[in-house]
Amino acid sequence: MRLEGVTKRYRDVTALDGVSFDVRKGEIFGYIGPNGAGKTTTIKIMVGLLRDFAGKVAMDGHAIPADVAAVQKLLGYLPQKAAFQDWRTVDQALSTFGRLSGMTPADLSKRIPEVLELLGIADTRRRKITQLSGGTVQKVGMAQSILHDPAFLVLDEPMTGLDPEARYQFKELFKRLRAQGTTIFFSSHILSDVQDIANRIGILDRGRLLHEGTFDELRARMKIARDVEIVLSRDSDRGIDPSALVWVTGVERTGPDRMVAHVRPDVDMDDAVDALIDGLKKAGYRLRSIRPLVPDLEELYVRFVEGGAR
Amino acid sequence: MSLSLLFRDELNGFYRSKVMLALWVGMPALSVLLYVISPSTGTIPVAVFTSLLVGSIGGTLSSAMLAVSIINERERHVYDLFLIRPVRRRDILLAKFLAVYASVVVAGLLALALGVLADLAVTGLSRGINLTGLVASMIILLSMLAVSCSVGIVIGIVSPSVLVGVILVLYGGNQLSAVVILPVLLIVTEIWFPLVPGVLLTALLLGVSIAAFNRRQL
Repeated sequence: MRLEGVTKRYRDVTALDGVSFDVRKGEIFGYIGPNGAGKTTTIKIMVGLLRDFAGKVAMDGHAIPADVAAVQKLLGYLPQKAAFQDWRTVDQALSTFGRLSGMTPADLSKRIPEVLELLGIADTRRRKITQLSGGTVQKVGMAQSILHDPAFLVLDEPMTGLDPEARYQFKELFKRLRAQGTTIFFSSHILSDVQDIANRIGILDRGRLLHEGTFDELRARMKIARDVEIVLSRDSDRGIDPSALVWVTGVERTGPDRMVAHVRPDVDMDDAVDALIDGLKKAGYRLRSIRPLVPDLEELYVRFVEGGAR
Repeated sequence: MSLSLLFRDELNGFYRSKVMLALWVGMPALSVLLYVISPSTGTIPVAVFTSLLVGSIGGTLSSAMLAVSIINERERHVYDLFLIRPVRRRDILLAKFLAVYASVVVAGLLALALGVLADLAVTGLSRGINLTGLVASMIILLSMLAVSCSVGIVIGIVSPSVLVGVILVLYGGNQLSAVVILPVLLIVTEIWFPLVPGVLLTALLLGVSIAAFNRRQL
């Protein structure tokens, strides 16, 4: 899926302003940004619900909205709040959406129980959707999005309103789908979830894409120091073997039993940690723990958006 | 394919939500009851009375049902999950129109049949039934219901809220469906003539609804 210079205006309000990015085959792309940034508008354009916009959107060579029917065959979509007609049971909803996606009754009789089992809601099949909890309705929404085994899943805040167990279940499902070759694009406010499962991220703010790339690329772009915290098993003031120091710009004592090593920006973090462990052991230290002090996505995001990236 | 699937789906929805039962039992029963308790219906055959009543009350009901259900589903973004699939917007509206029209026509025909039976019971089998009058009543009934249903669809698409939709149905919808009985009032003798404004008006209103729905950003 490729977006090029996508701009969408609602009267005087510019919801999207020249947004361009790629979602590559087989990846999980996390789309983050504050409320009102334009995430849902982007998603609605991608799935063909919003057709009045400027710029180019295409998937597998099919332009959207001109050739949206070809794209829709490959697409699964979960809106922010999946809504169904009041009279429907879970089974009727999935049967209808499956048939409309081109599945046969024979396919559906096999696939519906399979998908419900996968989401842990097999017992709700004959129940009316209006009688289900919000989290279970969200799972029914997820069920309809993956029922026809789409190549590309577009999910708008899929984990909002889910309890921790269901969130974990969704994340595992995404990883599993990705392993099977499904491409996933999802928006989220829960940045720890994005960090857990996304290969690449896009940061949107006030309709403009501020960053597209991996988590590491974002960190590198922000020139954030890469530190390693070392905790010793007992207080010590010995020196460190010089072989360990070639990977770092310096080592700072932060307490009698701990120190922080500043890793050089041009070296691999894993190599630096290995070298530090070796150097410390050669110097006779006993280590209790050693861990990279990498800011998480939430911290990076706040620094990025509030720190003048706009 | 999607139209027939959506039509069966809508019918299923009416059946499950008990709307069908309420129409098919309630409408004929109400018609006969109103005939019995109305003081000035002595000279009108029950069949004619019931067809006019169902055309009017049933028309308003179907119009309101369609408008409210479309506004509700639109506001809750129920159509999103349909429209990200290879489904034409036109088919969603036509399926709704056909399902409500079919349900309300069956209710109307049941009421008419009950009216005929009541007429036969009053006048006796020997005098038979006025077939011409019966066919004319049926044509008026079918035309009025078609217009009412299409008015419901238009209001459902253009109305900003359920409240405004209901007000529009009550003010405008019912009155518009009365256009089909104008030929009768203007003393056009052909009994099929109410079909002409009925079909034309229905086609026009459905065309407007589909165009408006196609342009609407969801």
